[in-house]
Order: sequence, then C-alpha cells, then structure tokens
Amino acid sequence: MKKIYLFLVMLGVLATGCEDELTIFPEDSLSVPTFYQTQVDFEQAINGTYVPLRTIYNQSKAYLGEMHSDNTYYARNTAFGATEQQEDVADFAIPTDNGITTNNHVTNIYVEHYKIIARANQILVTIDEAEFDEAEKNNIKGQALFLRAFSYFDLVQFFGSVPMHLVPVLSREDAALPLSSPDEIYAQIIGDVQTAITLLPPKSQQQAGRVTSGAARTLLANMYIVRQQWAEAETQLRAVVNSNEYELMPNYEDAFSGNSDNKNNMESVFEVQYKEGAEGLNGSFLYNFLPRPITAEEVGAITQTSNPQPLNGEGNNIPTPDIIAAYEDGDLRKDASIQYVTLSESFWRDGTYPIIKKYVEPHSLHGNHGMNFPVYRYSEVLLFLAEALEEQGKSGEALPFLNQVRARAGLGDPVGDLGEAIFRERRVELAFENKRWLDLVRTGRAVDVITAYGNRIKSNPNDYYYPEGAEPRSNAFTNISLTFGLPASESSLNPNF
Amino acid sequence: MTKILFGLKTLYFGFALLLTFTAHAQSTTVSGTVTSADDGFGLPGVNVIVKGTTNGTVTDFDGKYSLNVQDANATLVFSYIGFTTQEIPVNGQSVINATMTEDATALEEVVLVGYGTQIKRQVTGSVQTIDAQELADIPVSQVTQKIQGRLAGVQINQTTGKPGQGMSVRIRGQLSVSGGSDPLYVIDGFPISGGINAINPDEIEDITILKDAASTSLYGSRAANGVVLITTKTGKAGETNVSFNTSTGIQYVPERGRIDMMDAVEFAQFKKEYYEDQGDPVPEIFQDPSQYEGKTNDWYDALLRTAPMQNYNLTITSNKDKLKTSVVAGVFLQDGVVLNSDYERYSLRVNLDYAISDKVRVGFNVAPNHIIDNVPRTDGSRGTGILFNALHTWPIMPIYNEDGTRTTFNRFPADTGNIFSYANWLTSAEQIKNETKEVNILSNAFIEYKPIEGLSIKSSINAEFYNSKYEFFSPSTATYRINVPIPTTAEAIWEDENDFSYLNENLVTYTKNFGDHDFSLLGGFTYQKFRRDFSRVAADTFADDRLPTIQGAANINRGGTYDRVQEWSLVSFLSRLTYNYKGKYLLTAAIRRDGSSRFGADNRWGNFPSVSAGWIMSDETFMENQEAISMLKLRASYGVTGNNNIGNYTQYALIDNTVNAVFDNEFAPGSAVSSLSNSNLGWETTKQFDVGLDLSLFNDRVAFVYDFYTKNTTNLLYNVQVPRESGFTNFSDNIGEIKFWGHEFAVNTVNTTGKFKWTTNANISFNRNEVVALAEGIDRVYGPGGWHITKVGEPFGQFYGHLSDGVYLNQEDLDNSPQVPGRSTVGSIKLIDVNGDGVITRGGDDDDRAIMGNPFPDFTYGITNNIKYGNWDFSIVGTGSQGNELLVRHLYSTTNLDGVFNLLSDVKYRFRSEENPGRGFYGTTVGGGNVTGIERDWINDRFVADASYFNIRNITLGYTLDGVDRFFKSARIYASVQNAYIFTKYWGGPNPEISVQNDGNGDGGNLASGVDISGYPVPRIFSLGLNFNF
Repeated sequence: MKKIYLFLVMLGVLATGCEDELTIFPEDSLSVPTFYQTQVDFEQAINGTYVPLRTIYNQSKAYLGEMHSDNTYYARNTAFGATEQQEDVADFAIPTDNGITTNNHVTNIYVEHYKIIARANQILVTIDEAEFDEAEKNNIKGQALFLRAFSYFDLVQFFGSVPMHLVPVLSREDAALPLSSPDEIYAQIIGDVQTAITLLPPKSQQQAGRVTSGAARTLLANMYIVRQQWAEAETQLRAVVNSNEYELMPNYEDAFSGNSDNKNNMESVFEVQYKEGAEGLNGSFLYNFLPRPITAEEVGAITQTSNPQPLNGEGNNIPTPDIIAAYEDGDLRKDASIQYVTLSESFWRDGTYPIIKKYVEPHSLHGNHGMNFPVYRYSEVLLFLAEALEEQGKSGEALPFLNQVRARAGLGDPVGDLGEAIFRERRVELAFENKRWLDLVRTGRAVDVITAYGNRIKSNPNDYYYPEGAEPRSNAFTNISLTFGLPASESSLNPNF
Repeated sequence: MTKILFGLKTLYFGFALLLTFTAHAQSTTVSGTVTSADDGFGLPGVNVIVKGTTNGTVTDFDGKYSLNVQDANATLVFSYIGFTTQEIPVNGQSVINATMTEDATALEEVVLVGYGTQIKRQVTGSVQTIDAQELADIPVSQVTQKIQGRLAGVQINQTTGKPGQGMSVRIRGQLSVSGGSDPLYVIDGFPISGGINAINPDEIEDITILKDAASTSLYGSRAANGVVLITTKTGKAGETNVSFNTSTGIQYVPERGRIDMMDAVEFAQFKKEYYEDQGDPVPEIFQDPSQYEGKTNDWYDALLRTAPMQNYNLTITSNKDKLKTSVVAGVFLQDGVVLNSDYERYSLRVNLDYAISDKVRVGFNVAPNHIIDNVPRTDGSRGTGILFNALHTWPIMPIYNEDGTRTTFNRFPADTGNIFSYANWLTSAEQIKNETKEVNILSNAFIEYKPIEGLSIKSSINAEFYNSKYEFFSPSTATYRINVPIPTTAEAIWEDENDFSYLNENLVTYTKNFGDHDFSLLGGFTYQKFRRDFSRVAADTFADDRLPTIQGAANINRGGTYDRVQEWSLVSFLSRLTYNYKGKYLLTAAIRRDGSSRFGADNRWGNFPSVSAGWIMSDETFMENQEAISMLKLRASYGVTGNNNIGNYTQYALIDNTVNAVFDNEFAPGSAVSSLSNSNLGWETTKQFDVGLDLSLFNDRVAFVYDFYTKNTTNLLYNVQVPRESGFTNFSDNIGEIKFWGHEFAVNTVNTTGKFKWTTNANISFNRNEVVALAEGIDRVYGPGGWHITKVGEPFGQFYGHLSDGVYLNQEDLDNSPQVPGRSTVGSIKLIDVNGDGVITRGGDDDDRAIMGNPFPDFTYGITNNIKYGNWDFSIVGTGSQGNELLVRHLYSTTNLDGVFNLLSDVKYRFRSEENPGRGFYGTTVGGGNVTGIERDWINDRFVADASYFNIRNITLGYTLDGVDRFFKSARIYASVQNAYIFTKYWGGPNPEISVQNDGNGDGGNLASGVDISGYPVPRIFSLGLNFNF
C-alpha cells in the first residue's frame, strides 16, 4: 500500500505543474502578451502603423481625393464592364442609401485608416509601461499620435461623423462605437497633434520618411485651415517656415520622388514611402492612372521596364480638359505635370490621352515601382501660409509666400483677387496630389463647381474621353454630396449607424 | 473480438504441463482427434491433460493429439476457450476422440471500452466492435475502406480514389462550422494526433467504435466526434502462429458512371450549330463534323490505365511462458488508375508483453512504417485539376501528332472560339511530381503492477513520430494549369514536416465484489503534448528541369516560403465507477477533467461527465419462460463531450511581423496585431442522450441492437465578423447550436449452422441535424463558393441557388415571366422568382436563391453475408446510401453554352429555336456570356443530382486447401472483387461518394460538402490472394 500512496503523491506533484504546461504561446509568430515590451518591439510597431498608407495612396485616395473632382476623370473603355466602382466615384453617382454605401473605394479608405488607428492605439496604450530610452520613446509616441490624428483627419473630412477609437479594441463588445461628431474628433486630434509636435524631432534629426515636428505642424495648420482658425494656422506655418528645415526644389519637376532617388527631398514635408522590388513594399499607382486598353509596347514606352505587359480594363485618374486649361500661359508646371500618350487600340478619337506625368519614372519590372507619393510639400506650406494671412486681411504679408511658389513655375505676380489667386494656385501647384476635392469642400465651392463640371461632361462627353456615341450613365452627377456614405459592410455590424 | 474463459486457470494449468512434458516415465500412448460439434472440423489448440496431474498436450492444427498416460484408469480433461470442458476416462483405450460443444454460459465476451475492458453483457453505452479477421480479404490499403457499411451510425465515404487517401468518417453525423469532424483514433490506448490511413490493416486485431457520450466521455474534450479504438495483434494463448498472406490485384475504372461527354463529331456539330444559330459564318474546321468520325480524342480516358496492386504480410504471433509477442511485417504496393500515381507502404509492428512476476507485467510496442505516394494534381477545379482539365478539353484537339509523338500544346485560332489553350495532359500527369514520403513511428511502453487482488496500477509512455517530405515539381515542359503555353516557368514546392506527440498515462483500477454487488473503480492522470515543425519553400524559374533543387531556382517565392510551429498540451484527470447488482442492474458513471493549452486562460479546464444505466431484463424471473429470448438488455446514457479542434493559438492576439515599412528607401521591419484575443475561448460542447436495446433470440441465433440518440452541440467555434473600425475583421468565439438525432439498427443472424454455415449482418442508420442558432444577429452562413447555406432552422450545409423552370419557350413566355433584367432572352434559362418581386436577382440575403438540395442521406445501410460450406467460403458486402444529393460543380464548364469547352453529350438537346426547343433543359447559345452566363454561373438546381447508391462493395470466394499439412498448418486461396457494381442514378461522375471543395484539397469542410468536380475515380479491383499458416 505504501507504493500506492507514493503513486498518488506523484500524481499530485504532476498536477501542480499543470498551469505552466498548459500555457503555450505560438513560436512562429509573436503574440500580444509577449510583444510591446522592448524598444525594438515598439520600433516595429510604429513601422507597421505607417503601412496602410501605402494601400490608401496607391489607389483609393487618388480616386476619392482627385478623380472625385474636376481635375481627373476615367477614360471610358466601352469594351469593358465591371468598372462601376471607379465610375461611380468620378461621376458623383455613388449609390448611397440613408448615408450608407457599398462603394469599394470608400470602404477601402475607411478600413485602412482604422488599421492605422488600431495600431497607433496599441502603441499609445502600452508604450508608457515599457522601459527604454526616453527620446526614442517620445519619437515613437509622437509618430503614433501624428498617424492616428492624420487618419482621423482624413476620415472626418471624407465622412463627417465617424466612430472614434482611442484605445485598442479587446473584445467583440468594444468593437462597435457610436459616431463622434466632427467637433469631438477635431478636439481630440488637434490636441494629439499639439502633443506630437512637442515629442517629434525636426526633419534634420529624423530618419527620412518618418513624420517630423514640421510635418506635425503642417498637419495641425491644415486642420486649423479647415476649421478656419487662421491665426492658429499662421503660427504653426510660420514655425515651419522659420525652422529652416525646408526649401523649394529649384525645378518643379524635381519636387517629386524618383523611383529610388530624390526621395524625401528638401521640399518634402511628408510623403508615403514605397520601394520597388520583391519585398512587397512597392507601389503600382502609375499603372492605375493609365488609359486602357494599352499595348505592352505603349506601356513599356512610359515605364521603361524590362517586361512590359498590356493592360486591359478602364484607365482612371486621367487629367480633364479643365485642369489642363487651368494652367496659365507659360506655367512651367504644366509640362512637368502632364504628358500625352497615344493608344493604338483605343476607341476614343485618335487615342491620344493626357496622363499624369508627376509619377512617371522609369523602373525595372512591370507593376512594381518605388516612387513616393507626396502628402505635404513645402510649397503647400507656403500656399497655406499665404491663405491664412490673406484670410486675416494680411494680403501684403501673404503675397511674397504665394509668389515664392509662382516664381519657380516661371510666373510673376498673380492677377485679380488674391484669395482667388491662391485657390487657383493650389489647384495647379498641387494637381494630382489628392487635394482638389477637399479644397472644394472646405471653401464651400464643391456643389457649384461640380455641377458645372458635370454639365460640361454631359453636353460634351467626347471631350471627356467617351468614344463616339457613348454617353455618360444616366445616374452621372446625381449625388453631389459633401461627404461619402459610411460603408455598408460596417453599418451591418455596427448598430449605431 | 476478445474472448476469455472465466476458467482461465485451466489454461495456465495446461502451460505448466507443457513444461514438465518431457519428464514422464514409461507409459501407454493415447491419441485421438478433437472436433467441434458445430461443424465437425478438427479443433486446434485444445488442452488435453490427465486429470490431477500436470501431464498434458495441445491439439495440432487438425485437432489431433497424442499423449503418454501412465495410469490406464486416468481421466483426460479436454478444455478450450468458449467450449464446455469435457472429462473422458481412458479405460485402457488408446484412441479417444472428443467432440467439443460451444458453451454459451462459460463464455463471456469482453469488449474494449475507454481505458479498460468490460464484459459485453454489462456494457451500458453504445459500443460496436469489428473483428479485423472479417476484413482480411478486402484488397484495399486503408482500414477505413474495409469497414465501410459495416457499422450502424458510422458514415464512411471514399471521397476520392487517390491511392491511400480520401476517406471521410463521420460518427452519428457529427459536424461543426469550423472545428474538425474526424473521430478520435486511439491505438492500443494511445490517442494519436491524426488519422489511421497510414496503418497497415493487417496489424489490427479489432476495431471498436464508441458512439454515445457514456462510452466516449472519458476522452473528454476530444470525444464529441466519437472515438475509434484500435487494438493491434497479440499472441493467442499457448500458440505460435506464423502466417503469410499475399494478394495481387488489377484495378480499372468501369465504364459505367463515367461522364457522358460529346465525341468529336458531336462537338463539331455543336460548334457548327452555334455559329449557324448566331448567324455567323461557320469556321472551316466545324463545317464538316463527319470528318471527325472515329477521331475522338478522349483526353479523360487517355489519363486512365489498368493498374496492378500487391500486398504481402508476414505475421508471427506467440504466447508462451511469460512472453507474448507479435510481429507483423507488410508491404503494400499500388499503382493508381491515373497515369503516374502510385502508393507504397512498408510497415512493421513488434508487440511484446512480458510478465516479470505474478504481480508485474511490462510491454513494448513499436510500429514504424514508411509510405511513398505520388499522385499528379488530379483533383481540382478548372485549371487546377488535371482530370477536370482533360474532361473539358475539346475532343478535336489531338493527343498525338500524325507521326505518333505527343502534342505539346493545343490552341486553335481565335475565330474558332478557343479562348483557352491546353497543355498535353498526359505529359502533365507523367512529368509533374507531387510526391510525399512519410515515416511514422508509433510506440508504447507500459508497466502494470497488481499488488493485491483486484487492484491494478498501470503507467505507460507513448510516443508518436511523424516525418514527411513533400515535393512538387512542375517542369518547364508541363503544367496543370490551363492557358499556360509550353514551355513555361518551372515551379517547385518543398515541404518538410516533423511531428512528435508524447503521452504519459497513469491508471489505477480497483475491482471488488461484495456478494451481489460488483464494483470497479478507475482513476487516472494523463499528460499529452504535441509539437509540429513545418517548413515550406516555394520556388520557380529553374535553370534546368533536371535539377529541381533550391539552389537551381532563380526565384524563391517569398509568399509561399515559411516556417510554422504548432504545439498543444493536454492535462487530464479521469475517473469511472462501474457498479452492478446481481449482474443485471448496471450503472456506470464517468468523468474527465481536461486542461488544454488551446483553451483561453480564463476557461482552461473543462469537465466532461457521463452516466449510464442498463437492465438485463432477460435475467429477471418473470422472463424465465420466454424461451425465445436469450438476452434482452435496455440501456440509457447521458453525457457531455467536447471538440477541441479549435486551433492551437486561436485564443491569442497574434502579431503579424510581416507588416514591413520603408524609410529612406530601405526596408524597415514592422509588426501589427493581426487578431483579437479571446481568453474565454473553449471547446465545442456536445450533450448526448442515448437509449438502446440489445436483444438476442433463439439461443443467440439472432442478435439485434437498436439505438436512438439525440445530441446538441453548442459553443461552436465561429469567426464572428466585427466592424473593421476595430482594426480587425473577426473574433473567434464559441457560439451557436446544432441539434442532431438519429436511429440505428443492427442485426446479426446465424441463418444456418452445421456444414453449410450462413451468417448475415445488416445495419441501417438514420441521421439528422438542424441548425438551432448561429451568432447573435446572424441567421445564415454561406459556403466558400456561395453554393451552400447553413441557416437557422435548416439542416447544415444545404445546396443553395436558383430554382429553374426550363427555358423561356417563346416571346410570350418571356414577356409573362420574371426575367433577369437585360439578360433573359427567348431560349435562355428560366428561373423562379422566389422573392416574388417580379425580377430574378442574385446577391444579398433576399434575392431569388433558395435551398435546392441536401448532401445528407435519408439513411445509410450495409449488409454482409458470409457462407461457409466445407472447404469453401464466400462473402458479399453491400453498402448503400439513400436520399443524398451532390452538386455537380463541373457543369459550370461542361455545360458552358459558349462552346469554350467540351460539353455533356446531352447539351445537343438544347433549345435552338421556338420550333426546335430541344428537351427544354439546356438554353440557347445565342447572346454570348450575357445570356448563357446565367445558366452556368448562377448555380441552379440543374446542378443538383440524386446520388443515392447501393454498392456491391466486395465479393470474396475462398477455398481452404486440403492435404497441405505436410507443408503448412493450413492454406487458403481466394478471389475477390472490390466495388463490383454500383447501382445508382447519379450521372455527374463515376463516384457517388465524392466530395471535393473547389480547390480540390480535402473534402471541403462541412460548410461546403457534397461537391463533384470530377476527382480521382474509385477503381474496381479484381484480386487473388493466398494465406499460409505455418
């Protein structure tokens, strides 16, 4: 019987070790309980927070920000169907029911921005407990605050009221929040960016491509401008100008990133970072912005890759006659921004279309390029400052900043009303940089400008790349709304909208 | 079936005699033959001893014995397991023959139950056992193939004919949304981590299926899908047996059931009419269809072949003195009926059991095997499976050039409507390597200590090793895809998997009898741990097809190259109390407590209790006069079991460390949380109630078993969608409920005895299920292809699509019927306006789709007849399934009216004009994809086919040879046919049991079962076998 007793004791000993034996974390991937501990963890986490920007700027942001305006349109390919997602955006015809839409691009923007927000929240909620170098910690925290605010700023401008998550979601119950009003959101993100400015280093001390105190001030100024808080905007913008961290590139065309060079140049305040190659860090937006059908040779002439492929479907983000006409005579930016290609298989006229030249850079392989996409350039800081001053009645102070931008474009003093001149200048200086639609909205011009633009397309479709005999769809320009509907896929899961 | 005699002592007595056998003095010799009263044949292995002495012997194979007897007045005692012991005085005779009669009362069959054995009479759960001896002649590689149709409540389907693969086993219809549905397999007490495909069936002594919760609950969180206990061979008491079994067979795919496709003439005629109906000029190659007379290229048939198979097994068992051993060595070689497919298995098992003393016993089992199988990418949808590709390749495309060499690539000019080009599928099958090499090692060691009467303490260590190497190589000269010109880019995948599972089990059993009260108490503690290391490399662009090495690849495909580690651990406490009063009032209570690494930190332990009771009514005095009833037992059980197939790390919020960024044009590693954690995540719970009846009539000539069960599975693992504002897409949670119920009947009859001995075994099962609830606010889940719906209030995974009503016969019909806006025309398919909104739409929950079929059978059944007459033996096994349907998914290509692919022969009876409406079944070809696309892409009820079948699964005729005892103890020769004939109306392909998801990998999961995309056909097999016993 002693042996039995011994056996039972053995059992007891085995049993006490259970809980340890039953805790197995995955070995091939990290999990939350073991992550967010060290400096390296947080460096990786902040890097991951930038990543959705690549998706946003590769396609959908350009469609919602630029093609959803009078600057660009699609090049109708009558031989191809299933293009309504893009056409609905460009045609101001996004089916929206009770503030809800199923449009892919609208959904993409929404979903990708909330990825950034969730990743930033995870950092912000855990970083204070980790122990590592304070300067590094502040830098990461500043970037997280910037990126979260940047995303909410896009969301609030595109959608108006949206759910505001400020801590990581941990359960199914926390996943759906009620909508927060634009005022609530601005109050939060203006505060966040103000904090970020104090935490972030200036550009000269930051790794190229990461956000800086200058970028944060520009973002904050942009928020103030949308809120028409001109004096507050002026303060931030003057701080950027006086920081001596930025200068205009001497030539306008050099302001834009090359495939692997000229990235984050002295004019760049913030740009979305891409890298060509097999690592999956590349962009392909140039290809989204080409008219179609286009042969391999014609693609190759533009991209200079070793393996050009023909492209079918429908081309998007094609410059309109309106933007082409918006350049003043002698504006050097016109030829730096737009070029022409001729498509032998096109059904439209002789097949000679304008395309966006800013992003045409030679690269190695088809569909894989490394150009960065500009978000804020120093020239916009100057134009913002001119605008903020002009709006405060300080026209005299505003003009030199505007002229700094115009001079590089080979232009002299503007004519007419200074406010209008600044607005026109923004259109051409920042053409195809996803500014136009939001500028129209914040200045209260959207409905008038787009209605007139829609009428031009409907009366002269052939001028807007419709082949002979093709007509705009019957629903074109029937939904000129200042905000996009919220995604239907979200609405079905969130009881609050 | 294990049989023991309660008077085992006589056996040991016998052994003792053998030891002293040589020590006898001068004496007379008595000899004779011991026969069985049942069939008159000699009975081998009977103990013959001189009463009151240790002097004795054992009869030989023919029942003959010879014994020296010193006292002419002695008495001989003849004893044998299961027979009445006889005493015969010698009385000076020198020849004494004995006839042994079977003894029903002394014999108590015991059956294996979880963590022990029980007397069969006293079992209170639903348990069924098959003796592997009955299965020996069936010429297949997997044991699950052999038991098809033999068990009530167990549905076994051969979903593909790939050698060594494709068996789906469902006990009592159990299924789940995303957890696995395979039963737990326990080999010699060791719950293994995977299936039993790899095991040589010749190693198996018997198979026991545990079905209800009372019999499975001791397996706790792994028991909800049922448990299959496998016992491997051990030596029979007192004997040494050496046997050699071999069989050789020929396999081929019968013509019956093959898909009836157009021949070259029919196809050219179709194409000709296609252009004519369209009003377009007919391309030259279709202008004269008769030119293709006798020139059909049957690509599908060309991929098939008649293939050989061979099986060799050597078995040695011995049970002498204190040592029991068995050794089974096997070689199984099978070529597949599709070109370049084959399967080889080399296996060995050594079992040792040694009694160190009266109280201590130790045992060791080790069973290594090695499997090599190669099957080209046969199964898969268009462009991924070679058989499907071949099926729809134009029959006018040549397999061979004029000079007899193979074509490399077929593409006709664009104006013939040939938009897809095809490689030569024969070359693809032959050149694409798709090979897996496996090594499995199963091993156990135990020590058992019996310190006092009735108490046993047993501790075991079990280990399972698995290593596999997978190699896929598609050279530049071949492809399994369509539209890929040859030469193409060579591709390769290498996978390497190493699994190790370790189990320590400690059990204490105490059995005690107090008068009429019998108690047995079991207590145990077990610890099991599993680890899998997996790595995969995918590469393409090889410098030379002859060197498919990693270093030979110009490009490593990063997306397909990764490492994985999977681990789990399980700590369990278990206990069972068995009690009976007077052997007729039976009660069993059991509980297992499982702690699993898979369960969330706040829900780490689960309790799985069960209770069952039985009443042997026939033992009551009021039943004594019921002569016809030899045994009547009523049973009832209730219990809780779990399904822990919820993924090893589902509970954790994982970090995706491939979310990489760029700064300064340099790679910057990045990470992000990729899933939500759920610290409450747990097992799926199944609560099952079972009532059963065991009835034996006419002195056990008829044995009948009936069971009714009902069970509810709750806490189903389900990925609930969450709003993406959270940064995530879904949350794994335990949610929803499915209800199952069913009836099972099994009957065994001994129809005749004596020289002509005929037994029948039949069973029938009715299994039903219904989805009671899904996640909050969700009433349906669609299958991966959108052709299935799992909806609250309906059975699981129903076929879902449009209901058709012929075609629009004329303009009036079209005008007066709901249409697909902008697409319906005269002659196009007419669908039913299910939602009554006047138009036909597809998309969303409220469109015009409806449930259109059910993959589950109304009932499944099996019947086995065994006949013995003299030296002849004959058996026939039939299995069937009634009321199940299949979704003939390949119709989206094989009835594509645009003439892009070859078509079902029946498409020639399509609508061509109002005057020539065909059979009102297939629509007009006019109008292109805008019109014809509805018929093929909007899956409709024409895709659903009745797949009820009755398969004469096996017929075997054997003959035991006489006069061979100079060479062998016995020898037998037999001939066998597997899949002799299938009675079915199923027209979608040769295999009505098929179930393949659109990706061709596996059975598609429960959300999308019953899909036929023309997978590997199941062959008919003729085989010839020989058994020798030495």
